[in-house]
Amino acid sequence: MGRKSLLVVDDSATFRQLLCMSLTRLEGISQSDITQACDGADALRKMQTRDFDLVLTDVMMPNLNGLELVHRVRSELQNKVPIVIISTKGEEAYVEQGMKNGANCYLLKPISLPRLREVVSGLLAM
Amino acid sequence: MSQRPEDILKVFSKSEELLDMIQRGRAFTEELMAENERLRYRMVQLEAERVSADEIHKREAEKLRLEADLAKQRLEFLDRRFHEIENENKDFAQRYIEVEEQNESLANLYVASYSLHSTLDPHEVIDCIKEILLNLIGAEEFALYVLDEDTSELALAGYEGDPVSALHADRLALGEGLEGLVAANGEAIFALGASDTGEVCACFPLKLKEQVVGVIAIYKLLAHKRQLTDLDHRLLELLAGHAATALVSSRLYAQTDRKLKTWEGVMSLLRER
Repeated sequence: MGRKSLLVVDDSATFRQLLCMSLTRLEGISQSDITQACDGADALRKMQTRDFDLVLTDVMMPNLNGLELVHRVRSELQNKVPIVIISTKGEEAYVEQGMKNGANCYLLKPISLPRLREVVSGLLAM
Repeated sequence: MSQRPEDILKVFSKSEELLDMIQRGRAFTEELMAENERLRYRMVQLEAERVSADEIHKREAEKLRLEADLAKQRLEFLDRRFHEIENENKDFAQRYIEVEEQNESLANLYVASYSLHSTLDPHEVIDCIKEILLNLIGAEEFALYVLDEDTSELALAGYEGDPVSALHADRLALGEGLEGLVAANGEAIFALGASDTGEVCACFPLKLKEQVVGVIAIYKLLAHKRQLTDLDHRLLELLAGHAATALVSSRLYAQTDRKLKTWEGVMSLLRER
């Protein structure tokens, strides 16, 4: 697997750091390959200026939430990048909406880091 | 009795034929005897060969039996080793899972402690504690009380979820309610498992050495989270120590900063005069 660029979107700096730490354990991903965004609007701006191989996003965020972000990435940017939603919101309505908007996977917080790496490496290998 | 010469010649002729027949019979008999001798010799040879072949076969059979015994022993040994290695493999797989869990635990603990000590702003420390409780532990409703040293009361510093249903009051006296009791005793209280509605009772003191500086009470876990895991307990233990240090440090820094600014203002006024 060559070098991959990832975008981690979460308003919690603590959680972003945890994800970055876990993802750098994957082959071909270093700290410099991971870009962080503090909300959906920040993520959208970053996605307009460069391409990513995978996006991991929270749902509940200020400015632009994760579900809306997925919708806009698919509809406005016409970007087919794999998107993984990681949220505390486990209700069926949220999961359905996320998948309907175009997310590839919906994971729940608190997350199992080995499971996260499994999902990410699977999507990056596609 | 007189015989005619023709008769005599006839008798001679027959006797020569007879003699010839006898000679041929003799030659045939000698041939038979020679053949008999040759066959007897051959029979002795074959008998000897048969005995030799039997010996060889016996030896071969014995050799094969020994080889079969050795192969059986080898097979048993390999079978034992296979089971031993299979068990070792299972053991390694189990240990790998344990190491992965430890790694996960360490990553969570590292990130949590790093975040707690990365700021000297009391509000940011409280936000960080809330992030840890929500994102790393999976608490849906919780409250953070900080001990007010002036009044010896617990003051509500932050919460998540519905404050009306979960929290009793903005301020609690020591010994009042579960939170006050934990603050007074300095001992944590954990429920064994979440109920069907996800409600849980985990209340633990934030301690700086033996001094209680606050209390965190978890009233409800996220719906998909059944109970607090070992990792959660370790994170909560870490929070109990590090959150207390971070809270006290940030409060002291904020107080000192306020005093410094006051003194700087006073000095500025004095310089102007």
